[in-house]
Amino acid sequence: MTDGLVTSIDEAQVLTTTLSMPYTLTTGPAAGSFLFELGNHRILGSRCEVCSRTVVPPSDYCSRCGEAPDEFVQLPETGTVTALTRTDRGVLALIRLDGADADLLHRLDLAKGAVTVGTRVRAVWAATATQSVLDLDCFVLDEDDQPPGTAHPAGEVGLIAQVPHQLELEYQHSYGPHYGRLFDELASSRRILGSLCPTCRNVLVPPREFCDACFVRTGQHVDVSDHGVLQAFSVIHLEFVGQTRTPPYIYAEIVLDGSATRLIHTVAGFDVATAAERLSIGMPVRAVWKDPADCRGTLNDIDYFEPVPSPDQQ
Amino acid sequence: MPAVAIVGVGQTHHSRRRKDVSQVGLAREAVTRALEDAGLTMADIDSVVVCTGPVLFAAVNQPEKWLVDAIGARLKPVVRVTSGGGTGLAGALAAVNQVRAGFADRVLVVAYDKLSEGALQYSISTLYDPFWGREFAVGIMGFSAAYWRARMDVLGHTEEAAALVSVKNHKNAMLNPYAHVRKEVSVEDVLSSRPLCWPIKLLDVPPISDGACAVILASESAAKACLDPAWIRGMAYYCEAENAAYRSMIQSEPLTLAASRVYQQAGITNPRRQCDVVEVQEPFTCFELSYYEGLGLCPPGGAAELVASGATELTGDIPVNPSGGCMGANPIGATALIRLAEIAQQVRGRAGAHQVPDARVGLMQAGGGWANLRGVAVVSSEKG
Amino acid sequence: MVASAQTVLRDAWSRLQQVDLIGGVVSDVLRGSGLNIADVDVVIDCGSDVLDGRSISNCGFLGAMGAHHKEESRVEEDGLFGAVYATTKVACGSASVALVLAYSKPSESDVSAYYSTLTEPFYQRALGLDQVSTAGLMANQYLTRTDADEEALLRIAERAWSRAAGNPWIEQSPDLGPEDVARSALVADPLRSLQIARPRDGAVAVLLASEPVARRLSDRPVWVTGMGSAMDSHLLSERLPGQLEACQVAAHMAMSRAGLKDASDVDLVEVTASSSATEAMVVEALGLAAVGHGVDCYADGAQVDVNPSGGAVPADPIMATGLVRLHEASARLAGRIGEGQPTRALAHGAGGLGMQNHCVFTLEV
Repeated sequence: MTDGLVTSIDEAQVLTTTLSMPYTLTTGPAAGSFLFELGNHRILGSRCEVCSRTVVPPSDYCSRCGEAPDEFVQLPETGTVTALTRTDRGVLALIRLDGADADLLHRLDLAKGAVTVGTRVRAVWAATATQSVLDLDCFVLDEDDQPPGTAHPAGEVGLIAQVPHQLELEYQHSYGPHYGRLFDELASSRRILGSLCPTCRNVLVPPREFCDACFVRTGQHVDVSDHGVLQAFSVIHLEFVGQTRTPPYIYAEIVLDGSATRLIHTVAGFDVATAAERLSIGMPVRAVWKDPADCRGTLNDIDYFEPVPSPDQQ
Repeated sequence: MPAVAIVGVGQTHHSRRRKDVSQVGLAREAVTRALEDAGLTMADIDSVVVCTGPVLFAAVNQPEKWLVDAIGARLKPVVRVTSGGGTGLAGALAAVNQVRAGFADRVLVVAYDKLSEGALQYSISTLYDPFWGREFAVGIMGFSAAYWRARMDVLGHTEEAAALVSVKNHKNAMLNPYAHVRKEVSVEDVLSSRPLCWPIKLLDVPPISDGACAVILASESAAKACLDPAWIRGMAYYCEAENAAYRSMIQSEPLTLAASRVYQQAGITNPRRQCDVVEVQEPFTCFELSYYEGLGLCPPGGAAELVASGATELTGDIPVNPSGGCMGANPIGATALIRLAEIAQQVRGRAGAHQVPDARVGLMQAGGGWANLRGVAVVSSEKG
Repeated sequence: MVASAQTVLRDAWSRLQQVDLIGGVVSDVLRGSGLNIADVDVVIDCGSDVLDGRSISNCGFLGAMGAHHKEESRVEEDGLFGAVYATTKVACGSASVALVLAYSKPSESDVSAYYSTLTEPFYQRALGLDQVSTAGLMANQYLTRTDADEEALLRIAERAWSRAAGNPWIEQSPDLGPEDVARSALVADPLRSLQIARPRDGAVAVLLASEPVARRLSDRPVWVTGMGSAMDSHLLSERLPGQLEACQVAAHMAMSRAGLKDASDVDLVEVTASSSATEAMVVEALGLAAVGHGVDCYADGAQVDVNPSGGAVPADPIMATGLVRLHEASARLAGRIGEGQPTRALAHGAGGLGMQNHCVFTLEV
């Protein structure tokens, strides 16, 4: 999830992260049938008799009366452009297919000639079907100027019940006034910084501008120890998409000596199978740092925390 | 403050994966049922509040923008309130305020999630600060298990006590036609189930569900047409900063704050005696034990004894989660509103096979985030 | 409304995190208000998980909001909708003082992706529909369906940029001014880049108080006299081309509650717009001009002052934009900024792709 890449933009550091999320989306009858029949080079719409409206693409519920439509209809491949815009990603248009009472949003290809509002266009099919709205590749100028077609009942239609989907969202998170220094010190000096609240005198890790409880500006960074106590832990066996560690491992919340807040990390350095017996709440732990050459200014510069041997074990 | 009543509720038959409806189609089913229950149509609804889990659950940002047509709410006020797992209650509270302030006479609250569609633990893990801790996150399960382990030492919330919660809720879900997990389990089954984030084991964890719930709230005058309204006697939703100094991880302060405010509003001084039935949102069994204490159903440290006594079973003196709670179905964004709907059905005497006899005053709890968002409501058959 | 504050709206607050913007603006709104954080009963916040790159992002910012151990809710919509929630909470007596805040840092993410994720995933998303192409399509519809021409849309944008040049809360780009509108790149014809709402980083906060508290704090409190909101259909093809029906419904709702005949009954209007074309459509929906004649509202000597701040085209802090309008309008009514003695104002906010959702407040001193 976090690749820890530090770059420089406008002299202010950012952390680049990517959320890369897989989905299986359920289409519902209207979208599922529309996408399926595009593969058969058929454009489906839906007809609401109450509102006397045919809309394309079809809808499971009439946007006017809210009721389920009466039937699917097949629309002709020709229509008239009602609105368009050209951007650096191509031309998008609203197209009133013949026999429809609402527009279809789609792409226009201007290769065959100029298109403006009012121009007659026809559909062009993609060479290969991918179960997407792009199986209808685009609309182009209808040079033959075919007479307007009409909608008719679609008869039997197929259904694509679910389609895969992927979200890729990229971020450049600012380090801000506190995290920049925090991670610089972590990587360069193995120092962990907190913010001292001038009112309650508690030290807050990670450092922050405001004390959460007092709502006053903190002002001052102070060092805290890399030793602390294990406030809570669990043993992770669960595997999941997007996980950055391989189970089994320990999820740990640690309160560093000199601080009043939770630090989330892992405890290691022993056989995880013995964790339930080996670890106890409130036990002392200490940071095991990575080699300075491997430190990149993230929480992972601390490789893990380890139980501090009790005197009788030393 | 002006009285507000629940005059209609509806929920879907929850399931692991609904392949026959889209996200918005699922929400529509619950809306249709709530309107039928209230004897209303969308034309009677003045305003809509939508609740879902985080956007990353379902790949659709601000999903109410897509939902509006599916529920026939075009040109009405529609707004989405989000608050993690407790969003359904946070949304209901927004609706209650709309009615009380005269912004609307009848508000539809619709809450849903279609968790079969996304990568659940991954998306929940993005709750964590990308700089600080996200790489260690296991949804919210790693965190929840860690503090359960801590509460074992301090409060005696043992694995056996949590297993009793699982056994009870699984058993109750058998009586709930909307639940999608209907399978009785034994204490031994729970204790020997596969550890996911020890001490949390498979049978401490609710299912992953597709489901929706809708509730219609009405002003006193608009509720006159309803024969059996469930009156909102108190409702509040509190938060705490997730990493404030010395945050109490053993007893939830926002839950205590919400409960005391709601009890004051509802005139409740002894919740165990005065409430007839309780629904709580237990994302893991261990949380139900915490809520017993946070809601004042027993003293701190008394939860294990309370569940072992059978008092919170359907036949006990303070039944908790007669519906089966999250253990029967857990469409996260809808779960809190399902608890509210269930408690309303109890005081309306319409809960069916899991009805608590003569229930008049119902208590519900919900929440989300890092256990730092906590809400409570009291609902009654009496306007008060 | 007893106090309001905003940060400077700028290209990138690259040295601050969201949490710093939030904490800063909450401090600012309290300063001089006569209230402190302990007086605040409820916090309503508006931001976007998708812009923040973080789920339930409010959950991580509660301390900076001053919300610790208070009632709090996230309205994941433009901040003006958050103000509706806060107002109902105060109006019914459930809170004495409510804090509403809204923020965005679009500089940290891809704004086109943010808008693309707003589309339902089957019909629109694969086509690459985003805020720029939507603005172009709506402008084309407006020009096709009304008497307005491209010149009118340029005039509206030039006026917005000229007003923005006098707004100290919009960081100025020395090389950009009203004269650059007509020569900026044609990015979604008929619209040029300076005619489309420009994403900015920023935050805004407003304090709402019950009548007794407001009278104690101020001899010139700004009263909320009406609120309304309405959401249109999701698909652009199901909305009325060239007009904003939902804006009209929201405005009617607010004005009828306020006892106003139409928007010409107010002195000052602050509106949100995704482009100079939708800005014309908004003022027309408010009843300030006939359909196709929105540009007339910007003529010298117009009866109602529209967007003295410059509006959203030069500076659009996405989730905060509508609440900035409320802040601007109320600060002018209270005499904190601007000239003249306006006594009634209207603020408008919008959310969604192509302004699917609209919200209107009416205010009075």
